[in-house]
Amino acid sequence: VNPLVALAVLLCLAGSLFMLPLVPALLELHRKSDARPLNVIQQHAGEIKHFADGFRSYIKGLEPILRESLNSQAAVFGTLPDGTDYLVLGRGDEALRLPLKEEDGLCPMLIATSSNLVLPPDITFSKDIYAGGEFVGGMKNQYRAILGEKEVHLNSESCVMRWVHAVGDFQADPGCELYGRISSDRHIRLESGCSFRRLNAPRIEIGEAGNADLPSAAASPNPAGYASTRRLLLDGNFDIPAGEVFLGNLVVRGVLHIGSKARVQGSVKGDKGVVLDEGVAVEGSLMSASKMRIGANCDIHGPVIAERDIVIESGTHCGTASQHTTVSAPSIEVQEGVVVFGTLWAREHGQVAERA
Amino acid sequence: MIYVLYVIISFICIYTARHYWFTLNRLFAFQRHPYIDIDTADWPPVTILVAAHNEEKVVANILSALMTVKYPADKMLVVPVNDRSTDRTREIIDEFVVRFPGRIRPFHRVTGKGGKAAALKDAMENVDTEVILIFDADYIPGAGLIKQLTAPFFDPEVGGVMGRVVPMNCGTNLLTRLLDLERSGGYQVDQQARMNLRLVPQHGGTVAGVRLSALREIGGWNDNSLTEDTDLTYRLLLNGWKTVYQNRSECYEEVPETWAVRIKQIMRWAKGHNQAMVTYGLRLLLGKHRASFRERIDGTLLLGVYIMAPVTLLGWALALAVFYEGIAPLHGVIALLSLTAYAAIGNLAAFFEIAAAVRLDGNQRRICLLPFLILGFTVSIFSVSRAAFSQVKDALTGAEFHWDKTERFRKAAS
Repeated sequence: VNPLVALAVLLCLAGSLFMLPLVPALLELHRKSDARPLNVIQQHAGEIKHFADGFRSYIKGLEPILRESLNSQAAVFGTLPDGTDYLVLGRGDEALRLPLKEEDGLCPMLIATSSNLVLPPDITFSKDIYAGGEFVGGMKNQYRAILGEKEVHLNSESCVMRWVHAVGDFQADPGCELYGRISSDRHIRLESGCSFRRLNAPRIEIGEAGNADLPSAAASPNPAGYASTRRLLLDGNFDIPAGEVFLGNLVVRGVLHIGSKARVQGSVKGDKGVVLDEGVAVEGSLMSASKMRIGANCDIHGPVIAERDIVIESGTHCGTASQHTTVSAPSIEVQEGVVVFGTLWAREHGQVAERA
Repeated sequence: MIYVLYVIISFICIYTARHYWFTLNRLFAFQRHPYIDIDTADWPPVTILVAAHNEEKVVANILSALMTVKYPADKMLVVPVNDRSTDRTREIIDEFVVRFPGRIRPFHRVTGKGGKAAALKDAMENVDTEVILIFDADYIPGAGLIKQLTAPFFDPEVGGVMGRVVPMNCGTNLLTRLLDLERSGGYQVDQQARMNLRLVPQHGGTVAGVRLSALREIGGWNDNSLTEDTDLTYRLLLNGWKTVYQNRSECYEEVPETWAVRIKQIMRWAKGHNQAMVTYGLRLLLGKHRASFRERIDGTLLLGVYIMAPVTLLGWALALAVFYEGIAPLHGVIALLSLTAYAAIGNLAAFFEIAAAVRLDGNQRRICLLPFLILGFTVSIFSVSRAAFSQVKDALTGAEFHWDKTERFRKAAS
């Protein structure tokens, strides 16, 4: 064999081997099959009502049937263009008589009515539900999603998998499991033993809340969380003694303990934990890079955030009627008697506990 | 010579291990997003600074986007910082001022020191809110971004906030596609891992925020800095303020579409970063301040990322020299093992990081482009090394830095 030919063949082979990993790259470069920018949500801001708004648009096509059904007081079965079976009820209480449940306990139809809707117990509703009037669900039901134009009331041990939005009040009886988003334009109330993820309403009551409408003694004209720009940064643990007033923002690299009836005119953070005794008032935000325990009858105006878990004892108010706020942690336990104005968001698990 | 090579190899090993640590953390560890759930609050007043120097092609886009974001209009003031523009930037801004009365207060700067930091420093006379957000003019914020970037400031420990930058023109050519991959690795893995591990997320100077009281405490914007963002990150850190990263606060940007522009951009970044390394490196590592031990280590490594390019080049040269000198410790066994190990593991680290980022982003076939990153890395390593050498030369000759604005490629909004 001619050495030059051999060399050329060798070089070609080596070159081919070198180019081999580049073949998929060259193909992708040419085809641009995955060359679009990462999808960044531009149009909405993750609003809690996003799915409810989407569902409201989705069922617009049912409006004529809803009207007709309301006038005739008759039930109408049908199928939407996307293949979803639906049942439109003229009278909401008719659901108690109709055979909604299949043998496996499942109701696979979208249910909609312009009037009040009362559902029987022990059924799994695998499609969304729309109630133009009040909604009352039977015990131990499982729902995918509910949109109620007035009050929504879930009987005990019900379960919601995706979302509920009530234009009026929302109430969950003892033992309900609320996965996904629960929102109300007015008021949410959860009873003992309920579990939750994300709740949003102008006022969220856990159990019997007592007199939650009283204006707070610590009311401040400043935006919650920005009461002061003076900051004190401390290493180690720190105690604010009972009854003391602390003015400014405070960051503690250890555990922060605030004694009973102390008052903070600013925002506070404890890197290794935060413990509030009874009756503490914080005008700003309350942050913990670890755990947080908020004692009874505390009053927190700004956001309450913990990176691990939060326990909130009875009688505590987070936010005010005029200054809504967010309480968030991976795990939250709230006792009966707590009131949150705004958002209560447990990333992994939220639980309502009885009063201590 | 061999000992210098050992030192260089040790540094390379440290950075390799760092790449793996970050990637594995991002893939398997707990992800910190402590502020992203703050969707309801008594939102504070914010000032949004939009840095604009000859930005007629893009400035209308960002102003339009800012006028539609979901933030209380009475608590949000947009301050376009028109820095000595000679094109239609001023005219476009003034049109918006008329269209949105009371919501935009322009700062037209006609003289003064060049550079973004100097312009921002001068614009501070228009700022009296505790929260300041900063955007470059080529960015397009989404509806929820202002709330997302403001939320971390409820934490009194937070002095700076950084969001995620996403290239919008990534499909244009090979360069933009490579930059898209690099950005993905840098934000989705690097920045988020630093956030998870409580290290030093870097302030990027755009899609970012700073607390006014923190800024005042550290002495305001440093107009002598070539990269005001890196400078800000370290001054905040040394003064006990945290910079946090919000991976889900994403914002579109435009990346360079030509290699010449890209090279200029990365050279400027390298010079600024190296400047910060010289200014803050030793103080951060050994000084008395409020940063934790892990922040000291990570912050120092972060300061060294650009100087590693010339160091690596030097390592290559030394390796060749050692080979031709015939210096082979333990009869070449160590060299052989090292070479094998590095070929198998070391080289892979950065690619592994980017591949993981692409998967985390939910993308599919763009991962095929990974081999082309060698091209991007080669260009970067020589450009960054050139920047370092020219920086040393400038320091010796007393030459002043010339600010190069990054060219825009978008067609001007009509």
